[in-house]
Amino acid sequence: MIGAIVRRVAWTALVVWFVVTATFAVTAAIPADPVKALLGPHATAETIARVRAHYCLDHGVVHQYGCWLDRVARGDLGESYRSKRAVTEIIGDRLWPTVQLALAAIALQLLIGVPLGAIAALWRGRWPDRGAILVAVIGQSAPPFVVGTVLLYLLAYRWGWFPIGGYGSGGWDRIVHLVLPAMTLAAFGVAYYSRVVRSELIDALGEDYVRTARAKGLPERIVIGRHALRNALGPLVTLVGLDLGTLLGGAVVVEFIFAWPGLGRELLRAILEIDIPLIVGAVLVVAVAIAVVNLLVDLVYLWIDPRLRA
Amino acid sequence: MTARSPAVALAAAGAIASLAAGCSPIDRGPRFRPAGNTAPRDGGTLRFSVIEQVRTLDPTTGYDEMTNLATHLLFDTLVDFAPGGLEIMPRLAARWTVSDDGLVYRFELRPGAAFSDGTPITAAHAGYGLERALATPDSPSAEYLADLAGARDVIARKATACAGITTDGDRTLVLTLVRRNPALLSILTMSFATPQRPEHVAAAGDQLRRRPDATGPFELVSWDEGTRLVLRRNPHYYDPARVHLDAIVMLENVPRDTQFQMFERGELDTAEKLAAPDYLFVMSEPAWQPYIHRLVGMNAFGSRMNVTRKPFDDRRVRQALNYALDKRHTARLLNATTVPAHGILPPGMLGRDAELAPYPHDVARARALLAEAGYPGGLDVDYVTTSDEETQKVAGSLQSDLAAAGVRVQIVVMSWATWQTAVGQPGGPAFSFTSWSADFPDPVNFLDPRFHARSIKAADSTNDSFYTNPEVDALLDAARAELDQARRAALYRRVERILYDDAPWIWDYHRMTTEVVQPYVHYAPHAIWTRDYSSAWLDVGLDGAPVPR
Repeated sequence: MIGAIVRRVAWTALVVWFVVTATFAVTAAIPADPVKALLGPHATAETIARVRAHYCLDHGVVHQYGCWLDRVARGDLGESYRSKRAVTEIIGDRLWPTVQLALAAIALQLLIGVPLGAIAALWRGRWPDRGAILVAVIGQSAPPFVVGTVLLYLLAYRWGWFPIGGYGSGGWDRIVHLVLPAMTLAAFGVAYYSRVVRSELIDALGEDYVRTARAKGLPERIVIGRHALRNALGPLVTLVGLDLGTLLGGAVVVEFIFAWPGLGRELLRAILEIDIPLIVGAVLVVAVAIAVVNLLVDLVYLWIDPRLRA
Repeated sequence: MTARSPAVALAAAGAIASLAAGCSPIDRGPRFRPAGNTAPRDGGTLRFSVIEQVRTLDPTTGYDEMTNLATHLLFDTLVDFAPGGLEIMPRLAARWTVSDDGLVYRFELRPGAAFSDGTPITAAHAGYGLERALATPDSPSAEYLADLAGARDVIARKATACAGITTDGDRTLVLTLVRRNPALLSILTMSFATPQRPEHVAAAGDQLRRRPDATGPFELVSWDEGTRLVLRRNPHYYDPARVHLDAIVMLENVPRDTQFQMFERGELDTAEKLAAPDYLFVMSEPAWQPYIHRLVGMNAFGSRMNVTRKPFDDRRVRQALNYALDKRHTARLLNATTVPAHGILPPGMLGRDAELAPYPHDVARARALLAEAGYPGGLDVDYVTTSDEETQKVAGSLQSDLAAAGVRVQIVVMSWATWQTAVGQPGGPAFSFTSWSADFPDPVNFLDPRFHARSIKAADSTNDSFYTNPEVDALLDAARAELDQARRAALYRRVERILYDDAPWIWDYHRMTTEVVQPYVHYAPHAIWTRDYSSAWLDVGLDGAPVPR
């Protein structure tokens, strides 16, 4: 077990290093000068040269990469060219809104998707199943910018039930601001989870152990809740893990539509402005987050399935 | 009919009713009306949003448009532009004198001018602010002060103090130049020229960008970066009668459509940079008309050509392209938010020749000029533009107009950063979109960087047409040394005529800004600073709430 964990941790570290180094190489290869992007069109050649030297951009890529690795080893991700703010500070500020949004979306996906899938499976072929299919088709085929815009228009602009955008000032206000972006982000997952749960539950209901449970005379709710559904939810562990990793990378469209100050939006801006320290720092954090979540999923599997420990 | 049908029917009816309610027409006119106060009313909070975010509150390194909106409220400068336009008026300096040779400026500070903690502002503070602009490594404004005696040494780190910045007692700042600079007062209106305290700068350290030492009408309350900036009235401001609002809230990173929905709902007091559908709606809705403010910006848009490379090294080709462009198309595509351009200087700018008409749309003339230049069958050119909605629209329009004159344009789209890097290089694109916005509204900030031979460098040239004309250089140098504004204007008008004929750009348009405000907001955008809410006031009821319409 310990050997398996050590192997997975080592792989995770290697993947993170590779992703970050590749990001550094790609940003360095872009034929755009971050200093010109920073200073704007008015900057004279003299000012550009001075600022380039200030940020060590007058050295070669290898030198810049060496400097960066040296800083990272000391826990310093550098400062954003654009705002002169420490990258760790910016990411620290942006990560929490993203985590809140990701957790809220995952919670909605589970709270709505699982019961919807279970209802569809238990009423297979009847109108609740057809209703669930309709919800799934809409949720899976409508892109977030459509779902977000429709929710924003109806629930916020027309009916005024929710604020139009922003992060809120904390507490209840934050929760109210979180509802629409979380619903938008969860729309696809609700649909997907419901289909997975439906399919798995239908399979489980045909298994021998369910027949045995029924033969023992267990009430139907116990048969379904304790035996069939519990087994049907296994694949969701992987799905939740993958989704959480993806969502921590930032939901750019949703964050943009709802003016949610998350990491995805910050990363997009950094890319547009060639703010290399921020791009590489954000990618590092996202890569670590995804890798850690995947690692946790692997470990959970090792825990629940002894066959994988070999 | 089965038992489940009523439930399905009920659900379907509910869904249809909901959608119908969502799609039914609504009154989108103003929700509020002015309360009817005849004199400015003190109090209240003005809320507005911006599409991007404020980068820093350090006046020395702040530069971009969003940052300037905040720094202009936080920092006063020695002089400022009068609300109506280009006239310089006193601000922290009560008065100033200029020596006959134009090389020595003496600014006398206003009694009562203070930082927001009540500490009086001295001439040394004003001088230190300027020295920081020279000495800070990533200062974008150092070159603007390079005419001060000793400034070059400070920029190059050969000196820490600038010989051209001295004080005469506590209240008089003396600036000594090595060569005349008739734009100096305009330059000193920018936020970087605000007085600063060395002890505050030292104490704040790398947090200076979050700890502004306010000298202006407002001071910082809180800044949740990228989300919300809150300012309140500066209790020690020297001119309290100028300020009416208690506070200003600036929401950051709000998309255009979200901004307008919030504005319509009454969650914002002003809205600017409207998305096209919102802009068209506002302009067509009679009830909003009294509350719309439009301004021609200090900018110019068009297409630059590298005049050293074929086929653009032939003036006739450049003129032909100017004749081929139909500016009405651009205007229509941009919803009539443009003013046709005949040159780089926008309307209202010193030296702009108002009698010079833009190139007319004349395809026959364009074809004739191309034939004269040796291209009777037209020509093929690449045109580089950026990935913005506006620039791509303009590029499409240009492509279609030029095709009518036999010029086949291949559009190449780059990111803004890549485009900006490429166009200033001699081997960069020969033909591309271009634009220019003034840092300070003086022809020297338009013509010298874009068309003087001095602005051509081995790399990163701001004169990215690589245009050289000794006559233009001589006229621009003469205008730089001329203190009499009428004579300066005459020199610049001559430059405009030459550039018009030499056509290093396809002159296209100047962009207008449009802002709509709630009926209770009393404010007019500043001709230069645009969204300057320093003196805005809210015509609301006695309870402080807007009066419903």
